[in-house]
Amino acid sequence: MDIIRARDLTVGYGRTEVLRDLDFTVPEGRITAIVGVSGSGKSTLLKTLAGLLPPLSGGFDFAGSLVDYRSEASLRFLYGKIGVLYQGGALLNGLSLFENVALPIRMQYPKMPEDMVCDMVYASLAQVELAGSAEKYPAELSGGMTKRGGLARALVLDPDVVFCDEPSSGLDPITSALLDDLLLRLKETFKMTLVVVTHELRSIERVADSILVVNDGGLRFSGDYADLAAADDKFIRTFFLRKDSHDDA
Amino acid sequence: MNEPQAAAATPETILLPRRIRAPEVAALLDGICRSAEAGPLTLDFRDVEEFDSSTLALLNYVRGRLANVVTVNIGGALARAEESFVRRPPTEETKGPPSGGLPSRALTAIADRFIFQAKSLGRFLAMLGDEVYHVGVYLKERKGVYPGETWNQMFFMGYRSFPIVCLLIFLVGVTISITSAEQLRHFGADIYLADLVGIGMLKELVPLMTGVILAGKVGAAVTAELASMTVLEEVDALRTMGVVPEKFLMVPRLLAITLVVPLLVAMADVVGIFGGIVVARVTFGTPPSAFIAEMVTAVDWTDFGWGLIKTVVFGWAVVVGAGFKGLTVGRSAEEVGRATTESVVLSITLIIVIDCLFSFILY
Ligand SMILES: Nc1ncnc2c1ncn2[C@@H]1O[C@H](COP(=O)(O)OP(=O)(O)OP(=O)(O)O)[C@@H](O)[C@H]1O
Ligand SMILES: [Mg+2]
Repeated sequence: MDIIRARDLTVGYGRTEVLRDLDFTVPEGRITAIVGVSGSGKSTLLKTLAGLLPPLSGGFDFAGSLVDYRSEASLRFLYGKIGVLYQGGALLNGLSLFENVALPIRMQYPKMPEDMVCDMVYASLAQVELAGSAEKYPAELSGGMTKRGGLARALVLDPDVVFCDEPSSGLDPITSALLDDLLLRLKETFKMTLVVVTHELRSIERVADSILVVNDGGLRFSGDYADLAAADDKFIRTFFLRKDSHDDA
Repeated sequence: MNEPQAAAATPETILLPRRIRAPEVAALLDGICRSAEAGPLTLDFRDVEEFDSSTLALLNYVRGRLANVVTVNIGGALARAEESFVRRPPTEETKGPPSGGLPSRALTAIADRFIFQAKSLGRFLAMLGDEVYHVGVYLKERKGVYPGETWNQMFFMGYRSFPIVCLLIFLVGVTISITSAEQLRHFGADIYLADLVGIGMLKELVPLMTGVILAGKVGAAVTAELASMTVLEEVDALRTMGVVPEKFLMVPRLLAITLVVPLLVAMADVVGIFGGIVVARVTFGTPPSAFIAEMVTAVDWTDFGWGLIKTVVFGWAVVVGAGFKGLTVGRSAEEVGRATTESVVLSITLIIVIDCLFSFILY
């Protein structure tokens, strides 16, 4: 089953088309990696899929129904099923880390008892190894900690689909390996669908079931890692097999 | 040190120095252009050993722009560097000045600006309508807003504006009293200072001054905060959490201003009239009790009420204007500052326009 199905999707800002005529699917309960060079439009695509940036043309289905950007109900349905980790973390500066992670719960379930909220928040923070920093404010966190805090917030309500914009950027190899473990655990335990923008080749190889490569205003590849190795595209070879292309030169 | 060398060469040939980097290029460029205009010119790179990208840019410039210049003796290192020098793609022709004479261009610019402003006004009014709706729904359902946030906002707004409002209104009270006292003395109408200060303060000066101070203190702070949240994707984050930012962020601020303004107005009325009492006492020797007794014959609760309603409306104009500017900001940090300035200007404009409308209704 595919949870997202894009058809002739063109994303961009105003009159600037960033990625044109994308056709791809995101399989349910799997990890999909979006890969591309800096500035190629990965964050833009993610924003459109997350219901924040209307497509310039075409569209996409989410969980079987077309996402209609003009319909508030359609967007609310989408927001109710997703969690998003933003490239910069996007924690609210006025609230402590704990309150940031608690925010989605408080807003969705205002009547939930405080004890349960606490338990859920600590469980989520523990997943990203941040339980000890719950009372800190975003200004007191490092870049990598902000990232992980953002992930904890995205996960706290166990959404069906989690969009992660470069979850491991700014993390050391040990923490980023832990993050990969977390992604795999989320997939296996909670049957979550994860859409991850990443540059980490090792992480792609380890966790990605399906890969989307964007470059030059369009989709260059979609498939699994094995297909990727067989792909006969200069850009993909340079990107993924950097060493080879270096040896060629 | 470069100039003499350049001058020492024959008029047709300029021998470039050993070291030719940005400072030398800049010093020589004028001479090269002037010689090239005068006639054929040869640039001799024989001695050049030290160069940088400005040297390469110079070569590129000379070859592209100056037809009668020949470059000779370009060494191996320089030639290799030139090969890998990435040139700017030729600029498109359309980049030139827009067609049409100055008047027609000015007209188009004015028309564009007008259309843009009209569209902004439309979006602003739409936002105002939405906010009224959100506040109404919130008061009924008590959902979608962070618990306790209204109190926080009230504290911030009051804390920011109380001291300055009191100080400035007192000074305004003193100033208009002194100015009017001088006029009233000619007619021996000393006691009417009380009427003048009472009416002037309650109906006009307190609302207007309070509104303007709120625009500067509260409006600017709200815009800066919301704009930076927008730039840092915090507003997007709220939206994907299923929270409506226009409600979550704006309703507490609107409720807070609605609750803070009456306190502020009551305080300002008292302080402003106190200013009048002080002046009356000092210049005419009017006892405060006589001043107040006279004043209450001229003003009543409806004057206070209208002043209050006016100030609440100004407060809404300030907060909605600030939210509008803050939530529609672009995406760079620089625009946060611009939005803040624009928000203050917008709020003050709105306040004066609304004040004018009120005076048509009230008189
Ligand atoms: N708000 C915006 N308005 C206009 N253009 C934008 C905006 N945001 C991004 N762009 C442009 O869209 C293109 C894609 O940007 P995007 O942020 O999606 O890249 P990215 O693939 O996420 O890069 P990175 O890996 O560096 O995060 C860039 O050329 C950028 O200049
Ligand atoms: Mg990005």
